[in-house]
Amino acid sequence: MIEAFLAVLVILSASVFSITLYYPTASSDDEKMLKTLGMQVLMELDNNGALGNFIDESNWTAVRESLEILLPIGVSYNVTVYDEAMNQINNSTMSNGLKGQKIVSVEYLCASQSSEVRFYLVRLQLALVR
Amino acid sequence: MPASSIDTILASSIMIILATAAMAIATMTLSPRFNELSHRNDVERYQQLAKYILLNTGTPTDWGSMQEVVPSSFGLAAINSSHSYQLDVDKVSRLNDDNAYSITYLQLLESFGVRDVALRIEVDTLFDLSTSLASSSSGENETTYNFEMSTEKSRLPVSAQLSCYVVSKNHVDHEFSSTSSSGNGSVSVTIPNSENGTALLVSFAKTEPRMVAFNVYPFNHNSSVPEPNGTFMRLSPLNYTLNVSFLYPTEEVLMAQAFTYGYNSELTQISGDNQTAEYSFPHLLDSSPMILVITGSNGSSVFAEWVTYPQLPVTMGSDLNDLGAASKIVSFTYIVTVNSALYKCTIKFVGPE
Repeated sequence: MIEAFLAVLVILSASVFSITLYYPTASSDDEKMLKTLGMQVLMELDNNGALGNFIDESNWTAVRESLEILLPIGVSYNVTVYDEAMNQINNSTMSNGLKGQKIVSVEYLCASQSSEVRFYLVRLQLALVR
Repeated sequence: MPASSIDTILASSIMIILATAAMAIATMTLSPRFNELSHRNDVERYQQLAKYILLNTGTPTDWGSMQEVVPSSFGLAAINSSHSYQLDVDKVSRLNDDNAYSITYLQLLESFGVRDVALRIEVDTLFDLSTSLASSSSGENETTYNFEMSTEKSRLPVSAQLSCYVVSKNHVDHEFSSTSSSGNGSVSVTIPNSENGTALLVSFAKTEPRMVAFNVYPFNHNSSVPEPNGTFMRLSPLNYTLNVSFLYPTEEVLMAQAFTYGYNSELTQISGDNQTAEYSFPHLLDSSPMILVITGSNGSSVFAEWVTYPQLPVTMGSDLNDLGAASKIVSFTYIVTVNSALYKCTIKFVGPE
């Protein structure tokens, strides 16, 4: 009788354990989508040098307004801009209140459009608002 | 039979029954998870399919500009595009069933070649521009119309620069304006009282980088209430040629013009009879959709018809409203470029749950 219960226990526990070894969640798909979207949005924003110009002019309002149009509804974001020494240079918040279960981060290297060459690192954090 | 044999048979039977029951319970409990595991790559697969549509030109590569050609493989990318997600203006226009040369959903599915999914493609501007006539005042020689303009994205205000053209019969005028941070603005236009018939306020709203919304507002000037767009003509732009089908035999074209945010240009007639006409229009190097306007007369009434190029909004594919719980919709939104202006393209795939 004891052997029977042991056998049952082994079968059940083996099945449950094996299935939980890798159980993909929907959030990993969402993370991939957000990363793709984030990089695409930053590239489009910088396609004609607009992003570099906005940063050169410290026009953080323009960056925020552009992102709010480019990003779809239901995506929250936060942007931070760093200089070459990784010092944060945006002195105002560019965010619509980042919130969500999973936050992904996309980093984009942007070149200045002015005659003096400068590089900026733009970190865009995105999350799905559910 | 010895007692030990009875014990063995009894124990074996109980073991078999319990083991079978355990496997059945395990199967029932884990079945949903197994099912999900079998679909775990669906989203990844759909994303690759969406990218394929937007990054490939299809076959033949210039299928969009050839009126009667149905692609053997489907793709919307422009030929020789300078960067990714740059779509061909004609391929996008042929997804709009208002265009006389549009491809059907069945043709799209056949050329797409993926049998186990349904899909829907939507292309539209990134934000909306709306117009309303606030007031008008008639003078001795001209009438002034005051319009309220509003720019927004999903009810959130957008600040934008406005470029507005008023078109009436043979008259064209151009005004610039803007909307504030609250998304509201206004524009005033005047039309000579010598003109009459349906007038159009063709408006573009632009904000950096290269994001443009448009609106066409018909109103009556010394005439009766305007007829809906498409009442007098069917306009189908393709390959920088506007194909016009007259819907009444007595129609006469008075003026044909192309408008973008910064420029406007006359259309050149290249052929025509009493049923159809063809006009060519130039490649205006402006980060803006193009709005093509034709004014004409039908007997005593003067009308104005219009179409956009690319022909937007595009909503091609399955109707997803009545899907049951057994279906799974996966949606991807991309920022795409068509003729240097940015639009949003949403591709939705439907597969089994």
